[in-house]
Amino acid sequence: MALAAVAGSVSGGCTGELGGSQRPDTPPTTLDPETTATFAPGPATIHRLTAVQLQNSWRALLGQDVAVPPEGALPTDDQAYGFRSIAAAMKTISPVEAEEYEAATYAVLEPIFADGARRDSLMGCAPTTTDDPCVRAYFERFGRLAWRRRLEVEEVDQLVAVTKKVSEYTASFGDALKFGTAAVLQSPNFLFRIEVGEPVGPEEPEREGLLRLTGVELASRITYLLLDAPPSSAILDAAESGLFDDATTVEAGVRMILDSPEGRPALVRFFRDFMNIARLDGLDKNAEQFPAFSQTLGVSMRSEIEKLFEHVVFEEGGDFRSLFTTRSTFVNEELARIYGIEGVTGPDLVPVSLPDDGRRAGLLTTPGFLAMNAHKTATSPTHRGRFVRIGLLCQDVPPPPIGVSTVLPEPEPGKTLTLRQRLEEHRLNDECKSCHQLMDPIGFGFEHFDALGQWREEDNGLPVDVKSDLDGKPFEGAVELADLVAELPEVGACIARRFYQHAVGRLDGKGDRPAVEGLIESFVSNNFDFKELVVSMVVNDGFRYVAVPKESP
Amino acid sequence: MKRSLPRRAIDRRGILKGIVGGALVGVGVPMLEAMLDESGTAFADGDPLPTRFGLWFFGNGVRLSSWTPTTQGANWQLPPDGELAALLPLKEYVSVVSGLNVKTPRHPHHSGMSAVCSGGPHLKVDNVRDTIVSTFKYKSVDQFAADHFQATTPSPYRSLEVAVTRFRGTDEGTSFQYLSHNGSQNGETNINPSEESPQAFFDRLFSLGTAAPLVLKARASVLDVVAGQIEALEKRLGNRDKQRLDQHFTSVREIEKRLSAPLAECTKPGPPGDFGDVSGNEQMAEKNKAMSDLLAVALACRLTQSYSVLFSTCGSGVIMWPAGSKDGQHYMNHTEPAPYTKQHESVKFTMGQLAYFLDRLKATPDGAGNLLDQSSILVCTEHAEGWTHSQDDMPMLICGKGGGRLKGNVHFRGTGGTTSRALLTALRGAGLPIGAYGYEAAATAAPIAELENL
Repeated sequence: MALAAVAGSVSGGCTGELGGSQRPDTPPTTLDPETTATFAPGPATIHRLTAVQLQNSWRALLGQDVAVPPEGALPTDDQAYGFRSIAAAMKTISPVEAEEYEAATYAVLEPIFADGARRDSLMGCAPTTTDDPCVRAYFERFGRLAWRRRLEVEEVDQLVAVTKKVSEYTASFGDALKFGTAAVLQSPNFLFRIEVGEPVGPEEPEREGLLRLTGVELASRITYLLLDAPPSSAILDAAESGLFDDATTVEAGVRMILDSPEGRPALVRFFRDFMNIARLDGLDKNAEQFPAFSQTLGVSMRSEIEKLFEHVVFEEGGDFRSLFTTRSTFVNEELARIYGIEGVTGPDLVPVSLPDDGRRAGLLTTPGFLAMNAHKTATSPTHRGRFVRIGLLCQDVPPPPIGVSTVLPEPEPGKTLTLRQRLEEHRLNDECKSCHQLMDPIGFGFEHFDALGQWREEDNGLPVDVKSDLDGKPFEGAVELADLVAELPEVGACIARRFYQHAVGRLDGKGDRPAVEGLIESFVSNNFDFKELVVSMVVNDGFRYVAVPKESP
Repeated sequence: MKRSLPRRAIDRRGILKGIVGGALVGVGVPMLEAMLDESGTAFADGDPLPTRFGLWFFGNGVRLSSWTPTTQGANWQLPPDGELAALLPLKEYVSVVSGLNVKTPRHPHHSGMSAVCSGGPHLKVDNVRDTIVSTFKYKSVDQFAADHFQATTPSPYRSLEVAVTRFRGTDEGTSFQYLSHNGSQNGETNINPSEESPQAFFDRLFSLGTAAPLVLKARASVLDVVAGQIEALEKRLGNRDKQRLDQHFTSVREIEKRLSAPLAECTKPGPPGDFGDVSGNEQMAEKNKAMSDLLAVALACRLTQSYSVLFSTCGSGVIMWPAGSKDGQHYMNHTEPAPYTKQHESVKFTMGQLAYFLDRLKATPDGAGNLLDQSSILVCTEHAEGWTHSQDDMPMLICGKGGGRLKGNVHFRGTGGTTSRALLTALRGAGLPIGAYGYEAAATAAPIAELENL
């Protein structure tokens, strides 16, 4: 049985002692080592709109001033392998979520259709019966924007018909139009981004058997990736006329978006998922132990990391590596307290330069990274190292074997140890060693920072020791570690690969290898400019072609 | 006379369409005395009173030496400072199952969660070796029960889901976030999210049927068009996406069906309000009380026959502050030295919360008895003990009298069989006429006869 075989290799851990999996000489990587020259992308699928995409779609359709329900009142976005985008390609709509979509749809539409002037403005006319041809014209135009494609005649017929039927139940004709519009906005054609694709033509013999996204499907893919919003009417026109077949045109359009302020939030949300920092919003530390902790601190920490990313990518030349080395960052009063910076007051984040004292630089010394990968009372070299290993290097670490106690032995009575000294057990005990050596040595570099990310000289009354190594490369402390990380080819490759996964809404498989490698090469040759990575992604074959799904019609 | 489950597989859509168009819609009305026979144990037409099925889950396991009763068979006795102490006043309604194991391929947390909640393996999503994301391969046991109930004695809600504590995993898939699952054949995630806010749960339940009838008709017409759009779209998609849209179709039909369900007989309780933290502490007991109270009303009103309570998630990081803990429970489990006192106190506290819920059911009249008489509730957790991720000798309870099908107050100790035996027994306790349950390596045809009156 396949699953048993898989589980066998899983329980094998890092040593291969239990299930026969090989012990890797180098740290394991999730990238399938088997190379293949044949490009074989994943299947076409449908993507449920995220809460933000749904809000933005309502605004695009109904006017930017429309009142939309807050994220908390909408179906929850899950994260799979970190990304909402990947979870969106897995999710369905449960009964309770269908209720939430229905309630939200009417809540959004109610004020518009209760106001004659707003309704007429949306519809572009003032019909009084369903026989008015402008009703049909409205559903054709509004439906095309909502479903991001032209509607079939029968689809429009149904919308007109249900409006007519409902007009028998409702007090006003305007109300009936609201219900007709609700049939557009509760549709799977709106709540999901649909990708079916079309067979490639004879002009692309090397792509035979694959599907190419249609022009409007590609247009939606691009606008939801870059803006978390649907394509405008003009973009749909361009896509329908074949303009999206031309990579140069697409590139130019993408650069325009990236150079505008509107091009930032969706990419910041990518980075939020990449770093898994949404969970900072619920940050909870022991308040007695950490007087600097507050209920708003976690959100401030997340905002700092996001502003740092935005700054490096959009304002500082775009070299992703400088994210690890820059001494520029953004703090408000409570973050300044964590950093020990004086003179910053209030809740707004302002740019600051960190002192050149060798203590901090970049992402890996942000309080958000340090606090999120720590516990409520104690630091965790294991978690901090694990995040670097898995999140930044795209390598894998097996779970602890079942049946082995994960509790560290208590120090001998009367003996005081640092956490690092207690973690020696992970190095001495063979059952722990093979995997923990992938995490703990990296994490030791951060031991100058407590569980809230504040600088400290001592742990448990003893001086901290931050000398360690990253896969044999020695370093002392977080700044030297960050310098090493910035130069590792794995790090650039990792974020390029993760962006690919985010953009296509699934993990990359063996058949994606040529596309992913091409993307990485282009990222490297563009000096790790993140904006160039985005441009390369949009014209990458992996973004434009899909496989025929299993058991297709 | 008992209703029996049709032998052949039932077409879900056929049932739903039949319900929408047919006369079954009125079953949401609470039972009136006139409808009962003289003894109050069955409807006047001879059908037995409905038995409700519940799944009550808490994360991170127990401390076995304090959990497991010291005696086997009837009238179980606890070890000193036993973790089930809070349930002693209700022990006539509580049977303990021990000595059963997770038989599916193991992975910390993931496999235990799927095994005890669905009777099958977890489904690892995508081809990643170690850092896995999982969902349930098969539907959770509450949904299995819901299939049966909706096919025989349908309720306005196919099932209801609530959660008490707020911690949710973000890295590991639906297994660490949700309880009620509909199963996954191809890696799609098909879950029934738990309502986390008592106020939102209240609003959802008791706003039913309050809109003007013509508005309800209009909404139903719209939903009907949407259902048609789903069917049309399915024709263009592959199998995996078809399954996702099948669920969307079912969900839309569920709303449509409820729009015409009369609920006037339900006694509407007062709104529960909000439960903000007090001095930085999550108000677990207060929220549990509010959710338990609402659920008891919903069950008394027959809004549903199947439900789940996610007290805390698989691998939960809830801070068990009533037990003196300052760190998340999962971390505490991996750091607290023997004798694991805080974890022990956490389980005692958790069982106190379960006791409140059971007591609430017991205090709610139903027919000639009470709701707990008419319940079968499976209580489970994904590990035996968290600090080793052990999945042998799993801690499980079966609560309620199952309409007379379950004995209560029995400790059954197995010898290493599958945990699915407890699931099978709990389902039979709720009146499901099945002799086998579970999937792949966890399948069983051996209900725990020692717990049954059948």
